[in-house]
This record gives sequence, structure tokens and C-alpha cells, in this order.
Amino acid sequence: MKIYREIKIDHLARIEGKAGIVVEIGEEVKARVNVTEGPRFFELITRGKNYNDAASICSRICSFCSIPHKLTPIEAIEKALDIEVTEQTKILRKILYFANIIESHSLHLFLFAMPDYLGYPDAFSMAKKYPKLMKTGLELKNFGAEVQKIIGSREIHPENAIVGGFGKLPSQKDMEKIRKMAKENLERAIATVDFFAEYEYPSYTKMERKHLSIDGYEAYGNKIKATDGNEFSIEAYKENIEEEVVSYSFAKRGKYKGEPFMTGAISRIVNNMEFLEGEAKELVKKYEDFIDSKNCFANNFAQAIELVYFTQKIGELSNIKIKEERNVDIEKKNGRGIAVTEAPRGLLIYEVEVENEKIKYMNVITPTAMLLPMMEIDAINMAKGLWEDGYKDIDLIGKKIEMVVRAYDPCISCSVHVINKK
Amino acid sequence: MKKLKIGVHGLTSCYGCQLKMASLKLAENIEIVYWNMLSSKGEIGKVDVAFVEGSVSTGEDEEELKKIRENADILVAMGTCATHGGVQGVIFGEDYKKCFKEIYGDNNIEFDGRIGEPIKKYVKVDYNLPGCPPEEDEILYYLATFALGSYPEEKDYPVCAECRRNGYPCILIEKNKPCLGPLTVAGCKARCLKYGIECTGCRGPLPHNIAWFDSLARTFKERGMSKEFIKSKMEIFGKQYENMEELINKVFE
Repeated sequence: MKIYREIKIDHLARIEGKAGIVVEIGEEVKARVNVTEGPRFFELITRGKNYNDAASICSRICSFCSIPHKLTPIEAIEKALDIEVTEQTKILRKILYFANIIESHSLHLFLFAMPDYLGYPDAFSMAKKYPKLMKTGLELKNFGAEVQKIIGSREIHPENAIVGGFGKLPSQKDMEKIRKMAKENLERAIATVDFFAEYEYPSYTKMERKHLSIDGYEAYGNKIKATDGNEFSIEAYKENIEEEVVSYSFAKRGKYKGEPFMTGAISRIVNNMEFLEGEAKELVKKYEDFIDSKNCFANNFAQAIELVYFTQKIGELSNIKIKEERNVDIEKKNGRGIAVTEAPRGLLIYEVEVENEKIKYMNVITPTAMLLPMMEIDAINMAKGLWEDGYKDIDLIGKKIEMVVRAYDPCISCSVHVINKK
Repeated sequence: MKKLKIGVHGLTSCYGCQLKMASLKLAENIEIVYWNMLSSKGEIGKVDVAFVEGSVSTGEDEEELKKIRENADILVAMGTCATHGGVQGVIFGEDYKKCFKEIYGDNNIEFDGRIGEPIKKYVKVDYNLPGCPPEEDEILYYLATFALGSYPEEKDYPVCAECRRNGYPCILIEKNKPCLGPLTVAGCKARCLKYGIECTGCRGPLPHNIAWFDSLARTFKERGMSKEFIKSKMEIFGKQYENMEELINKVFE
């Protein structure tokens, strides 16, 4: 094949983790996302560890989503050991989840994505011109972080969440503080939606695509829903989501029925629109054109909507009256369990086998690993569209390709820790 | 005052140390020369201080680390992956090819992967900033001392010192929980103990050969814990400590 131009970005900036992208423009356009972040072999390093230690190790898969990487293995372990945690534990965990999504989305939108929209290399230089906007972003980020700190002990690698419950419960005063923060931050979240509604999506990345999410706008679920009308139980994840290894990536890559697909904020909204309430529902109505299931750029807008929705949810859930209770007793020592949750970037699957209180087998599929093939298709279409429309400036095409990547908000640290054994 | 030029770098890790640093409001006299996680501007170049997060897990990591070292007056290993190899260092000593095959099967990946190692195995490290992730006040303390032309003093006392000072009950003695506080370098203000969770040792073992794995292993043994359990617990963040295994084995001879 004749190649006219090659665009090579070795180390993509403003994403979590280490990856590059190569796009070749020729008679055909090709793209590959090189994941150069090293392997960390989580399947091996958790093997033989006590289950609580293993969950602590898993949270180290990623700092941006350390809550899902702590709570999803915990859920899988609890299923393996037939533990049903209390309603109070479930609510507190949900709050942790939603707070993590708020922190992660606001970091991504304000520090990683927004500089592209406003034409700056980073948030530092952007903040000089737009101090108020930056302040909004940091307040939202701090809100998410603070809630995780109060309930989880810290915002990165929270050790307070354990199998069966918590080390220590938050006080009623803590919950009131959380409710107050949620109230204060709702306006900021709405302002974020208004900001992203100023920008039209590029048309080059518009194409039919499938979206996968949990059924219901929740953190946890037992059923996965796809836009092709298919629904499957999480027990059947292996039959529906297969993985492949490519030579240029330490991350494995997911396919749904042999095809690339999307998961994450936009997929959650597309699949579960009817569950949205309050301001989030109003905003989706107001900006309905922006909920475009065919365009990856809708993901940034969807993340902004989720800032609103999850801030509302935290406000509601924090109304809980905290009662002193003991963690659930654990009697069983062996078993197998599967848990699927919605991490900031989409579906996160954990399967564990526990033997004599230790991890015997573990399998994790992360959302970024699922997203990579679709991201390459959009990068190709962006490059191809620009090139065919007469844009020959490689720097400009490169910048637009980076925007495609950032629309997905990939989490490379997560992706390389795919630990499935073929 | 002269501006302090810094670079912030991530090797193989969870990016949590950088995330923690990104959450801080840095003083005006700190100039960020390179921070790929936050900026598409800049290249690895001359800096006063380079902060490096992550373990060396690929040939590319090693190459980048050496370039960072060449260009930095002071190099700080930030976080437990950089100082001790991190959780991925727990399989240190295993054959890489064997591990690779277990995870990726017979597939080939064109990058030069390795078992994660602390950065001191490859370059001279001037200071260690421990933590998983480091605490805010520690990052600010390191930055402030460098900015003032001084240097930070690394802690050489265990989490227990902070735990007792805060008046938390000792969960090792009172509740028989396998707490690694006695081995682990302080600085977290015994955060987990405040929540009634035993220390997992995430900040890494004490420096200067004063992490007494043997004495804590003996205490655990006396409380009925098996050698296998003790080892599997202590190695999570301590596997690459010089003689961890030897010290534990000694107790069971």
C-alpha cells in the first residue's frame, strides 16, 4: 500500500497512562493505538492473596477509578461467598461510586479535554484566561474527591471499603456535609453542560455504533444491555464480549459479537435515558441533539450530563440515617463470583474464584480495553475525512486525532491490567 | 526568588501520585517544564527537580528514566512503585516470559516488557517520596524545601509512631489483626488505623535496614498466623526490600 503521510504521536498528552497513536494516510487509512504502558500482571499478583488484600491490590490498577477497582472485586468476592451486605452498605457504596465518577469526569473534562476546545496546550495556561471556568472544574473535582475521602478514607486507593462492609461508618454529620456539598455543586455541574453545548461535533466521526451498559442507571447490575436490543446476564459475559491480543499493545481489546463497540457515559445515557430525573432530564431534553449515539464526541457531553445526574443522586442518597451496625459475618471460604459495575469509562467486569479465603483465579475486563478498537475506527475516519476534504496539515490532523482519543477519555493504566487467561 | 523548574513523569503505574500532585495548588515560583499527563506542551529537558512515578516495566520506561536522570539536578522517586516496585513488584524474581505466556498466551507484543522494578535499580535516586499515593503535605514539603534551596528529610520511623500519637487503639495487640504498621514508613498519620483497618504497608518498608520483618513475623507467628499468610501479606509492598524473605524464613527455622 502506498502511504502518503504518517502521523505518529508517541506519547499522547492529557490522558491517563501511556499510549501513542499512529495513523497512516494512504490509499487506505490505518490507525493503531500503541499501548506502551508496561504489563502489571494483576492476575498473577493477586493469586494466593487473602481476598481483602487482593481487593486492595486491584484498586492500584488505576487511580482515576480506584473506587470501581476496589468495589467491583469486593462485590465479586461477596457473590462468591454468598454474602449479602446491608442496605446501608449498599447505599454508601453507591455514593462512593457516583462521587468517583464525578471526580473522574471533572478531571477529564476540565483538565484534559477542555484545553482542546479552547485552544490551549493545558489547563494552566487556559486558567489564566478562564479562571472562573477552571475554578468550577476544580470545585467539582474536589467535591467528588472529598466524598470519597469521607466514606472511603481517601480519594485514591480507599482502604475503608472491605468485604462485608466498612472499617468505620461515616457519622450523621459527615452525611449532612455531603448533602450540603451536593447542593452547592449542582449549579457548577449544570454550567459544565452549558459549556459543552456550545460546540458542535465533527461530522467525520459520525457512524452507527453499538453501545453496551448495565440495564438501569446504576453502579451495579445483573444484566448488560446493548443498543441492538440484546440483553444478557453478567454470567454470560464471556460469550458476548471476547478479547483479542494485538502486537502493538499491552492492553487486550474487547469486541462485542466480533465488532467494536462503545461503553461509558454516552452508552449509559443512550441505553437508560428513561431513568434520568430532575435537572439532568431537563438538560437532556433541552440539548437532545447532543445525545447523538452515532458520534464519539457525544461522550464528553454525556459526561457533563452525568456530573449533574450523579450530583443529584448523591444529594438524595446522602439523606440516609446512619445507624451503627456490624459488618456481615462471613462463613463461607470458597466460591466463584462475577460482578459488573459502571466505572467512569463504562462496564467493568470482575470474575473471581476464592479458595480457602484466598484468590485462586481472577479475571478483569476494563472499559478502556473494550473501547480501543472503536477508538481506532473513529481516528481513521477523522484522518480520512480531513484528508479528503483537502486538509493536508499534519499537525492539524494530529490535533484532531488527539481530540478523538480524548473524547473517549481512555484510562491506559486500566487497560493494560487486563488479566484474563486465554 | 529564582523559579524552581520541575518535571513530572509517569512510568508504569496507576498515575495516582501525579493525580495527587495535580490536585494541589502549586506556588507561583514553581515552573512546570514537562508534565505529559497535564500538558501537550514541553519535552523532557533540563530541570532542577524531576519527580518520577511508577516502576520500570518496559525497555521504554528504562530509556525514558535515563533521559530524565540526565536532565535533572535532583531526582525524586515518587510513590511506592518508584521506591519499591509497587504491587506489580510482588512477582519480582519470577521469569518474565513465563508470566507473559500466562496472561497473553502465545501472542507476541513488540514492546520490551519486564517485571516491575524500583527506579533505583536503574538510576541514582536522590530522594524518596513514599506513599501510595503520597500525602498532600509531603508533596508540598518536598517542593517547598527544594524551592528554598534546602532539602527534605525522609522519615525513618514507623506508622505506629503516628498511630500511638493519635491515640488509636493498637489493632494488632487488641484485635489480633495483621497490621504492618511497625514495618511501614510513617507519613500517612495512620489513616487506615483511624478507620479500624490494619496497615497494608502501602507506603513501603522503613529505610536504612530498620524494617524488622523478622520481629513482626515472630509476633504474627505467636498469634497463630502461618508463614505462608505472613509472607503473602508482607510481600505486597515489601517484596523488593533487600532481605525480606530471609528475615521471615529465619523466624520459622
